[in-house]
Amino acid sequence: MSLQLKLGERYKEILFSISEVALATLIGIGISAILIKAGGYSPTSAFFYLFKGAFGNLYGLYTSLSYSTPLMLTGLAFALSVRAGLFNIGAEGQVYIAALGAIIAASLALPSYLYLLAEFAIGIGLAVMWSLFAGILKVWKGVNEVVSTIMLNWIAYWVTEYSRSNIFYDPLSPDRTIRIPITGRLPILVENTQLYSGIFISLIVVIVTYVILWKTALGYEIRAVGLSPSASKYAGIKYSLVALEAFALSGLFAGIAGVMETIGRPPTYAIVTSLTNLVNLGFNGITVSLIGRNNPIGIIPASIFIGGLMAGATSMQIFAGVPLEMVQAVQGIIVMVLALPGIIRLIKSKIRRR
Amino acid sequence: MPPEKEVAIEMVNISKVYPDGVLALDKVSLTIYKGEIHGILGENGAGKTTLMRILYGNIKPTGGKIKVFGKEVSFGSSKDAIKIGIGMVHQHPSLVPVFTALENIYLGLPSNFKEQVSLKELIERTGIKVPLEERIEDVSLGIAQKVEILKVLYRGAEILILDEPTTNMTVEEVKEFFSTLRNLKKMGKTIIFISHKLKEVLDITDNITVLRRGKVSGSLPTSQATPEELAKLMVGREVFLKLEKQGSRPGEKILRVEDLWVKRNDGSWAVKGVSFEVRYGEIFGIAGVEGNGQSELIEAITGLRRAERGKVFFKGENVTNAHPLKLYTMGLAHIPEDRQKTGLILDMSVAENSILGIHRKRDFLRPMMIFNENKIKEHVERLIQQYEIVVSKINAPARSLSGGNQQKVVVGREFSKTPDLIIASQPTRGLDVGATEYIRSLLLKMRNNGKAVLLMSSDIDEVMGLSDRVAVIYEGEFMGISETSSVSEKEIGMMMGGYKMGEIGIK
Ligand SMILES: Nc1ncnc2c1ncn2[C@@H]1O[C@H](COP(=O)(O)OP(=O)(O)O)[C@@H](O)[C@H]1O
Ligand SMILES: [Mg+2]
Repeated sequence: MSLQLKLGERYKEILFSISEVALATLIGIGISAILIKAGGYSPTSAFFYLFKGAFGNLYGLYTSLSYSTPLMLTGLAFALSVRAGLFNIGAEGQVYIAALGAIIAASLALPSYLYLLAEFAIGIGLAVMWSLFAGILKVWKGVNEVVSTIMLNWIAYWVTEYSRSNIFYDPLSPDRTIRIPITGRLPILVENTQLYSGIFISLIVVIVTYVILWKTALGYEIRAVGLSPSASKYAGIKYSLVALEAFALSGLFAGIAGVMETIGRPPTYAIVTSLTNLVNLGFNGITVSLIGRNNPIGIIPASIFIGGLMAGATSMQIFAGVPLEMVQAVQGIIVMVLALPGIIRLIKSKIRRR
Repeated sequence: MPPEKEVAIEMVNISKVYPDGVLALDKVSLTIYKGEIHGILGENGAGKTTLMRILYGNIKPTGGKIKVFGKEVSFGSSKDAIKIGIGMVHQHPSLVPVFTALENIYLGLPSNFKEQVSLKELIERTGIKVPLEERIEDVSLGIAQKVEILKVLYRGAEILILDEPTTNMTVEEVKEFFSTLRNLKKMGKTIIFISHKLKEVLDITDNITVLRRGKVSGSLPTSQATPEELAKLMVGREVFLKLEKQGSRPGEKILRVEDLWVKRNDGSWAVKGVSFEVRYGEIFGIAGVEGNGQSELIEAITGLRRAERGKVFFKGENVTNAHPLKLYTMGLAHIPEDRQKTGLILDMSVAENSILGIHRKRDFLRPMMIFNENKIKEHVERLIQQYEIVVSKINAPARSLSGGNQQKVVVGREFSKTPDLIIASQPTRGLDVGATEYIRSLLLKMRNNGKAVLLMSSDIDEVMGLSDRVAVIYEGEFMGISETSSVSEKEIGMMMGGYKMGEIGIK
């Protein structure tokens, strides 16, 4: 007997979600098709390769799953904040800073078996600290978390980029940092694909978070604060404490994502110029969370869907000859249309709570 | 009733089964005469709204006949009902908040609408004065209600259905509203007045029909009705409107408030130097017209609002501006005024709400703060049984419960804390007779068991009926504190209007 609204009662909601996503995808595809056509390319062939690259064969599926690995976590970071009534968009920066942490660990002279531990410890530590900056500003001075996390994202970007080019660069290949030592890497799951074992960590974290949110007093307090500040105050729940917990947890999730992308994804195992292997992992997590209705379980299919979109985009570029910029535009359009219903819901519930 | 009276409405054997199988009405028959005010009385869920929506053509009956002015009718929609002069003001306001009163009155008129009297003339004749140019969101609920009535009358209604129109009105607004209704009656309008408040129905109606669980349980002229009789018809058993109260045996002080000053959200002073004490074994009542600082006073005592000056002592310990959690662990329970915003989290389930504030109690937890769901289930099921909470399942969101059942969840939860002092703010507001009686009896039982109750209510009868001592608050100050037995309702009423106890001749 579980206490929250039963999954059975959510069938309707799930069906509704799926049709909502389907409709948004169609609209997104429609708009992008016009754009692709206007650019002088064939929309049919573009979308054929998009789908084929995402789920059309095993290789595509593995690639999609590998992209979903960090998105599950950054999605979770956003979802947990929303549950606590916070609009925390800091996962982007926390991913960078966690990746930097992993590289710092790699730069140390350690016994080989300690690298993995050190990478996670330093990376996550930095990310949690980064997230707590915003948290402390919020509960201590009332600084809006949207503003502070955006600023912290930029600071994280330049700190990481500077460290990459001036401190941790690889003398043999200065466009990237030193690489993670082999003993410090996560094992690959399927040979010759990018799917690495981190996906299990992501899945476990998602499920544990689900349990925390709905089966423990800690999660109860997080949800209570998010649903009704006045009732949670009445219930003796300490708002500042809960808010800090939420910031710390979302920093933890984004931190794991940033570390894993650096130490798990072949073939680079480093941070590259302009952080291109990390950029947007945090922001796409917001879309994932919104599609998954800010529910940890919903985030799993949502992240695979967005992961597929990313995998397919590459194949669209390669096989349909659509230039990178246009591929990115298409991706952006679809992601934006997909996120829209969730954003509207979020704003509505904020207004209703007034 | 003189026999020559013209029958306006006759409903015969009306039944209604909702699509989900709820039998809301079971062969209800009802006769309403032209020019009368007819009361329909019943507890929440008795079927009053359903019956009226059928009369208004809003929903279709499953069976039965309706005659209006002698002619049998069958409405396709409420448009048909409006055409033959039936108008309804719904329980929940249906005006557009951002439109002005005037815009709302004109809104949705059919294109071929021909006015029988101009709006100006209508206002003059009925005496319903409303600020036509003001937006609905800026006016009081009493005024909005009048706008709704004007809107209905303007469409040519001869028969007016008012579904619980007084729910959100203050005492003053109700008084004024009733004089408007009497005016309309004089003009020959037929009014159907729906309520679950005995006093109002007795006050304003000519005839009363009582519904209970979808059936007519009684029908009688108001002149022959007594409150006891009506309550019995509504609830189906003997109800003790006047609770038996043994003499109080007050003991030690449990709560002491000293010169407390509290601000409103806008920074103005809500409470200006209030002092009093509550003792074990007594109910201390705070009466007053709403908005005179009583809410802020209670919030300050219970740790929900900062006290700017003054002190609060609980069981001898200084707890001024203490955290609510500390007060709870010391034996305080609080039934807050606003159950929907403060007492409950509407989007959480009934089970989750049943542990709000006690969710960290060891009984409900396993190691690592994991909930012991069996224990929580036992707890919520005990509350449901003991307090007769009507709920489909314990996982249903609190939002899906009726107002009365929501309040029972709050009250049940707070009593389950076995407190030494319970602070109850408007504990029975909006509740039907049965639930009200039950909650009042619980408060009395607390006191009889030697515990303390601080009761804040704007219902004079409630405060006078329950309290051993009563204070009246007016503009943030106490007008006086007195033994309830040595002060009359009239004197309390005068203090609520701002007269100090000394000024009206009580020492
Ligand atoms: N739209 C509806 N669908 C299903 N059941 C309803 C609906 N409206 C009311 N009911 C049920 O019908 C009964 C009578 O409700 P209602 O007419 O609203 O009572 P009242 O106005 O006297 O409080 C209740 O049991 C209520 O739950
Ligand atoms: Mg009703």
